[in-house]
Amino acid sequence: MNSTTFAFIDEDAKKEIRRSLLKAVALPGYIVPFASREMPVARGWGTGGLQITLSIILERDVLKVIDQGCDASVNAVNIRDFITEVTGVKETVNTSEASIIQTRHRIPEHEFAKDEKQILVFQVPTPEVLTTVEPDTAKQKQMHANSDYAKLWVLLYEDTSQYGDSRISNRYPVLINDHYVMDPSPIPKYDIPRMDNSPVLQLFGAGREKRIYAIPPYTSVKPLKFDDREFKVESFSGISCERCGAQNVFFDEVRRETGNHYFCSDTEYCDQHLEKSNAS
Amino acid sequence: MSYVAIKGGADSIRASKRFFRDSICLAKGIGDDELQKGLIFSCDRIMSEGALYSEKLAAEAMRRTGGDLFEAAFYLRAHRSTCRRIGEAEPLNSSSMRVLRRISSAFKDIEGGQILGPSCDYVIRLFRVKIGDTPEFSAARSGKSGLPPILTGNDSTPSGVECLRRRDQIIVLENKEEKPFDVSRSFPLPPYPRSALMQVMSRGETGAMLAFSYTSMRGYGDVHPTIGDLRIGYLSVEFIHPFTGNKVKIGEIRATACESIGSFNSDPKDGKLRLATGFGFCIGFNETKAIAMSILDMAMHHKGYSIGGIDIATNPEIIMHHVDGIESSGFANHFKLPHYVTFQADLQVLEKAKEQTDE
Repeated sequence: MNSTTFAFIDEDAKKEIRRSLLKAVALPGYIVPFASREMPVARGWGTGGLQITLSIILERDVLKVIDQGCDASVNAVNIRDFITEVTGVKETVNTSEASIIQTRHRIPEHEFAKDEKQILVFQVPTPEVLTTVEPDTAKQKQMHANSDYAKLWVLLYEDTSQYGDSRISNRYPVLINDHYVMDPSPIPKYDIPRMDNSPVLQLFGAGREKRIYAIPPYTSVKPLKFDDREFKVESFSGISCERCGAQNVFFDEVRRETGNHYFCSDTEYCDQHLEKSNAS
Repeated sequence: MSYVAIKGGADSIRASKRFFRDSICLAKGIGDDELQKGLIFSCDRIMSEGALYSEKLAAEAMRRTGGDLFEAAFYLRAHRSTCRRIGEAEPLNSSSMRVLRRISSAFKDIEGGQILGPSCDYVIRLFRVKIGDTPEFSAARSGKSGLPPILTGNDSTPSGVECLRRRDQIIVLENKEEKPFDVSRSFPLPPYPRSALMQVMSRGETGAMLAFSYTSMRGYGDVHPTIGDLRIGYLSVEFIHPFTGNKVKIGEIRATACESIGSFNSDPKDGKLRLATGFGFCIGFNETKAIAMSILDMAMHHKGYSIGGIDIATNPEIIMHHVDGIESSGFANHFKLPHYVTFQADLQVLEKAKEQTDE
């Protein structure tokens, strides 16, 4: 490994990625292509998020990495180990302590600091929201330019008429700043309202697909839905975490012969909640 | 039920890595020479798909991956990301290749001659023929051990298609690019420049390239090429010296080039009928990949004969995004990562839809 470069990637590449990020922040929800370097973790394993983190990270940053809400998941452990090895930055599991949080499939349960200083970096498999309805990149670009999201609306209509609601369970299409429709990465619907008007800078990196996009702090993020229909998120009513007793959070469901068991998906939230309940 | 099991466990992950290193990947004792010379085609696939010409690193990558070519090429690509670009070499011209093997299936006799060179094409694939049974390659012609010196004395061996080009029988596509696109420095939006497509294919995964080109050869397309010129050999890499400004040879690389000829078509330039061609090129010796690439190049840039309505090989959108082995293998393997959250959400949606439809 080339130990002379801080944060692994060569400086020219970082510069290119930072420029793409600036463009992405200036045009919320717009997808910016970038060259996307190969990382020492495989494509599809968070190389887009990793490149963003490595391009913006500074010596003073404090890093948190989660996968499915968990700090100790395979992907999170590997990525955190790698980033701290090539940067020497401090790592944390504490959401409020972190200046950069790289995540796959979840937004941490804890509220973010209101000072806009935290950055949330999402790992994205499929950056183009239109891929489901139109796989051709040239046509996708044209559709975005014309705000032509008719095919998505038709899909939503067909699903609603047949199944009562959209069949999209995660990666739910969102309208950013009343302009572009965007893929929020495979977070559950539960996390969609939590993106709206958030004080964090939300950056999205798709390494394999070579795309970057962003939502600046305090930007409107609305799920695509019909006016007379409610946007229904996953419901866990009456359920509480078997470990810490928390309610009204996103749960991991574990199915055993003894029935279904529920635990907080955000493990750090679970730890803190447990500590609090033990203390009181 | 322990909570740790749900978390996955950082310790288990670290143990898995050690387990792999100590029990699956046991190539520590195999030297660079054995790997580079004994497994030259593996070495070349790794360099070509890894987009980095380094035999040393290719051998090291093989040792670390147990010979998994996807993984080994991936090591080279990842290493590339740490290297700052120092400049651009002078363009390589495949007709200046010191050829080791050069054939044409279009003409019996071509300028420079048919040179079979070393090839396993003519080997009968039977285990009963022992490796030592065939007489050794004449030691007089091979200097040191390993690959023999070059068989042609010529500085330049023109492509076997050149004679047709001189007679104005070949479609020469208009080049609208001032300088080649560089996919490793930015990624193009459609319509994709030909140079970008060529770069993506040149570092593409051999199996993927073969499969996509095979669709066109077999029936979902119309490319039934004649190989105008296929060659493997050595190309000098030259660089402009930053201080003297002179051209300096910095080394030599193994490479494969293929020019294939397709059916005739109306030339967009003047409407006259001429033959279409396609070009394939990759670093290292890999004839299958170069042939596949030449077919894909031809299929994408000379449309018009396609039958059946299903176009795979002719569609730059398909080729651009689906031939890279680092990307496709990475994505296929990412499905092994936890998807608890998304699957949980899937199940909830299923339950709700069932309530609706069962009513």
